[in-house]
Amino acid sequence: MILLVEVLLGLSAIPPLLVLWRGPTLWDRLAGASSLNLRVALILAAHAALSGHGILLDVALAYAIFGFLGTVLVARFGERGER
Amino acid sequence: MIGEILLSLSLALVWLGGVGMVRFRAPYCRLQVAGVADIGGAVLFLTGLIVYSGWHVTGGLMIALILFLLFTGPLATHAIAKSAFVVGVRD
Repeated sequence: MILLVEVLLGLSAIPPLLVLWRGPTLWDRLAGASSLNLRVALILAAHAALSGHGILLDVALAYAIFGFLGTVLVARFGERGER
Repeated sequence: MIGEILLSLSLALVWLGGVGMVRFRAPYCRLQVAGVADIGGAVLFLTGLIVYSGWHVTGGLMIALILFLLFTGPLATHAIAKSAFVVGVRD
């Protein structure tokens, strides 16, 4: 059951990739990147539940933290308005 | 049983977030979808994981992950929207 959930989550990572690829402005891409980070953290948490390794949850938490940090930093960089 | 329901509901939410993100053209609509549907789906998904796989596997760390996502998800979308607004994106 969780394997199916993981596969569906993996497939659900495609739309943000599309937005990242196609999004005209920087902020479309940032929304796609933030959504992609979230989905990768979810897949990590699901795999932690599937395989029973509790350590993967720490990885998911660290990944979510750095994904959030990166998104906010790039957003602050975008505020300067070179684009 | 409840775990499966929660997991499938959250998968539907996450999938709707993805479809909505592709469907809307404007940056702000995508931000709204990314903020609302994804964070809601993620929190529901993690609670479903706790219910499904039991407390011993996930433990308090899953609660930390849920709380972290609850706080920083809207923060991230706010930062993006603010930077878009400051630069002058008015679609």
